[in-house]
Amino acid sequence: MNLDHFGIDTITLAGPLEAKLKAVHEAGFTQIMLNAVDIVGHPGGEAAAVAAVRASGLRVTGLQLLRDFEGLSGTLHAYKVDVAKAMLELCHALGCNVLLACSSTSPHSTPDPASIVKDLQKLALLAVPLNVRIAYEALSWGRHVNEFPAAWDIVAEANRTNLGLALDSFHVIASRTDLDLLQEVDPRKVFLVQLSDFLWEEAGSAEERIQTARHSRVFPGEGVHSDKVAEMVRQLDEMGYRGDYSFEVFNDDYLQLPPRAVAGRARSSAKWVTDHVSRRSLPVRRPATPRDRA
Amino acid sequence: MSAKESLPEPKNPLGIDGIEFIEYSTSQAQAFGALLQKLGFAAVARHRSREVMLYRQGSMNLIVNAHGATDPTPTVNAIALRVRDAGQAFQHSLDLGAWEMPTRAAAMELHIPGIHGVGDSLIYFVDRYRDFTIYDVDFVFDSNAKANPPAVAGLHWFGVVQTILPDRTADWLDFYRSLFGFEVLPRGQYFGVLPKGTLLESPCHKFYLQLIEPPPGAEDVHWDEGLVRVGLGAPDVPKAVKALQERGVVFVDHGAVQPSDKGALTQVYLGGVTFELVVSHLKA
Repeated sequence: MNLDHFGIDTITLAGPLEAKLKAVHEAGFTQIMLNAVDIVGHPGGEAAAVAAVRASGLRVTGLQLLRDFEGLSGTLHAYKVDVAKAMLELCHALGCNVLLACSSTSPHSTPDPASIVKDLQKLALLAVPLNVRIAYEALSWGRHVNEFPAAWDIVAEANRTNLGLALDSFHVIASRTDLDLLQEVDPRKVFLVQLSDFLWEEAGSAEERIQTARHSRVFPGEGVHSDKVAEMVRQLDEMGYRGDYSFEVFNDDYLQLPPRAVAGRARSSAKWVTDHVSRRSLPVRRPATPRDRA
Repeated sequence: MSAKESLPEPKNPLGIDGIEFIEYSTSQAQAFGALLQKLGFAAVARHRSREVMLYRQGSMNLIVNAHGATDPTPTVNAIALRVRDAGQAFQHSLDLGAWEMPTRAAAMELHIPGIHGVGDSLIYFVDRYRDFTIYDVDFVFDSNAKANPPAVAGLHWFGVVQTILPDRTADWLDFYRSLFGFEVLPRGQYFGVLPKGTLLESPCHKFYLQLIEPPPGAEDVHWDEGLVRVGLGAPDVPKAVKALQERGVVFVDHGAVQPSDKGALTQVYLGGVTFELVVSHLKA
């Protein structure tokens, strides 16, 4: 595992798109996770944003975020299909192969797993001609799917090649999901891993989790659950996951710092994670036995 | 998973019943038409409002669309599937996640529903293919030409070859399997002289799709996703090769793809178009 496996989410950094691309590149990263707002909100328009991304030399880890897609019906469903199609076209324009889709928080969504599966199969099929993979993430305040084992059940049931999981250490830790359950997941179906930590022990209620997730995350190595983040990465690495890790650190303070400084913290965090994971991956040294000496 | 009854779909959910037509797009319609005539096709009708010609041979309909075409090299830009109910097939596909194709019909012309396929290609659904056909509305038949010219050496549609990007075979299998009920043939079961990629059989058992990823070592080759070639079935390939050679078609005559009992490949025409012959006992 090295720095090439890590990238930064643009939501972690302040400033315009070009400043973010420059900061990420100068910190030594080779990839960046984009937010659709970076592209469509660009003052020069969508085409200028796409050109800036392509000129940056950075690989696009993925695009976020398709919200509240699954489990709707009628007009709401048709509306979300239109939104999804527009985001898939944006992915295609960016040369981006992963669209992040978060589990629905909508009170209008059904809890019926068969409907959720069917909708995600539809999203995956829409994505095939554009060469995009759908990474489905359990938001810890998701209405029906809020922990990764439930998201994994849905993904496994849907059984589509381009539909997989996104794992976010914040949600795994905040919802106290047992990390051993990762062993149930097929590592080939993990399309994205997002890393962050936070600074207090608990985020018990959904409201606390939302507030913490949106304003007070920190980089792994800076928070109080970092050992768990490292444990999660170590497990994934041992399981054979070789995909991307992206730092998704929503933090109001970081948005008041120069992007260069925050990207530097991301780089330190990448080193912290690789150091912890590779140290733990070393085989346990055992006392020499007479047989070894023979 | 659910208390809801989950009923299996039929194997052929759309009632697919073969290929109604293959459409090529080219700005060199006349040069391509001359090539098609060598291959045994005859121009039988002209579109009422656009620069579009219908060619026929036996059971095959081939459309050459020059309307708005800028690329001189003829490219397969649509496959029209015969289905039980075109409207239903279209809606079923959209429900499953297909992309709707914008309508192109002018006043009094048939609206043929379609969805986006690979690359820039389209997949149409046609349910009028028995007594009354789509060509009866949109085309004017040439009164001097036979409307149904016979096939040379029993030629018929065999399949379409699709190039895909690396590691995309499984994605496209999902696409054709879930939308239409195509099934993959066991590895090693190939037809013709170009045995590579993955072969899919239509649920009606009347034609095939061949998916081809770039071969190893082709990293520097420009490789896009799209429909690159049609395969014509022939009950007796050497006989068909001879008949077509007599009409002026040139086949690659050396290496692995030289004509054999299994198949043959034409030379590259007009900057990039080829046709493949494949031994086949499908109905002509």
